[in-house]
Amino acid sequence: MQPNALHASADSPGGDALSGDPLLTLKNCSLTLNDTHILRNIDLDIRQGEFVSIIGPSGCGKSTTLRLMLELLKPDAGARGDGGQVTFPKVKPRRGMAFQKPVLMPWLTIRANVELSLSLGPQKTPQSLRRGKAETALELVGLLDYANYYPKQLSGGMQQRVALARTLAAEPELLLMDEPFGALDEMTRDTLNLELLRLWENRANGLKSIVMVTHSLHEAVSLSDRVVVLSSRPAGIRTIIDVPLPKPRSAGFVSIEETPLYQQTIARLRRELHSDD
Amino acid sequence: MTDVSKRRPLEILKRYDALLYPLVFISLLLVAWEVSVDAFDIPAYMLPAPSDVLDAMDSALLHHTWVTLQETLWGFLIANIAGFFVAVMFVHFRPVELGLFPVAIALKTTPLVALAPLLVVWLGTGMASKIAASALICFFPVLINSVKGLRSIDAESDELFRTYQASRQEIFWKLRLPASLPYVMSALKISSSLAVVGAIVGEFVGANAGLGYVVLVSSYHLDTDIMFSAIFAAAFIGLAFFWILEAIDRRFIFWQQEGAD
Repeated sequence: MQPNALHASADSPGGDALSGDPLLTLKNCSLTLNDTHILRNIDLDIRQGEFVSIIGPSGCGKSTTLRLMLELLKPDAGARGDGGQVTFPKVKPRRGMAFQKPVLMPWLTIRANVELSLSLGPQKTPQSLRRGKAETALELVGLLDYANYYPKQLSGGMQQRVALARTLAAEPELLLMDEPFGALDEMTRDTLNLELLRLWENRANGLKSIVMVTHSLHEAVSLSDRVVVLSSRPAGIRTIIDVPLPKPRSAGFVSIEETPLYQQTIARLRRELHSDD
Repeated sequence: MTDVSKRRPLEILKRYDALLYPLVFISLLLVAWEVSVDAFDIPAYMLPAPSDVLDAMDSALLHHTWVTLQETLWGFLIANIAGFFVAVMFVHFRPVELGLFPVAIALKTTPLVALAPLLVVWLGTGMASKIAASALICFFPVLINSVKGLRSIDAESDELFRTYQASRQEIFWKLRLPASLPYVMSALKISSSLAVVGAIVGEFVGANAGLGYVVLVSSYHLDTDIMFSAIFAAAFIGLAFFWILEAIDRRFIFWQQEGAD
């Protein structure tokens, strides 16, 4: 895959202050669904300009945390109105979600699939602008040539990039990703991670922050500024680790794994993950 | 290059395989039938030769075929529109489903043959009672398949739409409806052959035109050749109907999900 035509924005690449204002705050969020206690007292700020990864034992509630951020689920109300809250300190940011599966509509062309995110809900884009925005997003992921194809004609990796383009087309400020490349083979996954990193460092389409759920420690460390480690269910935050690696990272993406700092960070995460075994 | 030109005639044949093989086979069968009727001296009232059946096909048969075709098409159309509409209601309003589903099941389990005389009493011996019989027999498969199709969307697609705060209308038109099309299409195919059955059963009970009427009357007179001509005409309606739907299916429902049949 060739490096894509990236739309370099005016922002300095990857240079936002880490201590940006919170875009979104989870305050004391617990969640019980069908008598299953899934989340317990989650406190988490997602700040402007950061890439946060969430890791934890499988089935612990990582995806559920994303769904709280999307407001697809509400935190438990609590006994005396002292329940959890999902708040947005400033303006509620536009949020976009990338799922583990591409979730493309098989009856729509690639272009129409990307336009889907622009044609739904109260904030839909005027019809005349959709095509242009969809094509810009497809160009970002390097698939403009496939605009007239149907999902079935594309490989799994390409489908996932279409899904990313669909999410980016709606110009999300906060991008939430639920193991977006988890179903792909490792090489494709690596390529897409690098591509994601480039999009992120260029703040493509007005991105402000990314929250990504992943199973891969390597993915978490090489992409993020902070890694949130959840405990097993009911999941609470075990620890949050700052990734001390220099930025921007896309240039040295391949060699970063060889640095001692990288290895140490991975080791630290592993210790945290296994600390209750 | 030489390879390609050598292969070409064969490939042209292959394209028509689906047509050629059945045609050859059916022709052979007809010849065997014709010859054996002659050879074994089978009386015409038992089994007329294909040539006699062909002779029996006249303009009257055309008229009766046209009557049955109309009844079939109307019944099919009414059942599909009604079935799909009720399915949409079922999917969106739970109480409607809970209340009406047992009724639909009862309708399905009641033999149409038992209802047909009632339909004739209510609607007369004209086309209306046959259209009703045809629609009744088609209704249930359409309903079931449509409900299945409208419910066939996966959790992720639903979440995707909710992420963008899509309205109920948007979810219906842009997700549920297209997702249901493969299922609806197979419902159409199933009901196309049932629609013919319904119309002919209706004609058996009380009619003055139509293929079912021809079969019945010719059986009284042992005009077996006429009977056969009507049976062939009925089979032809069913086949042609199915083929047309199959062609539409392949052309428009190109994404075809598994498990839709």
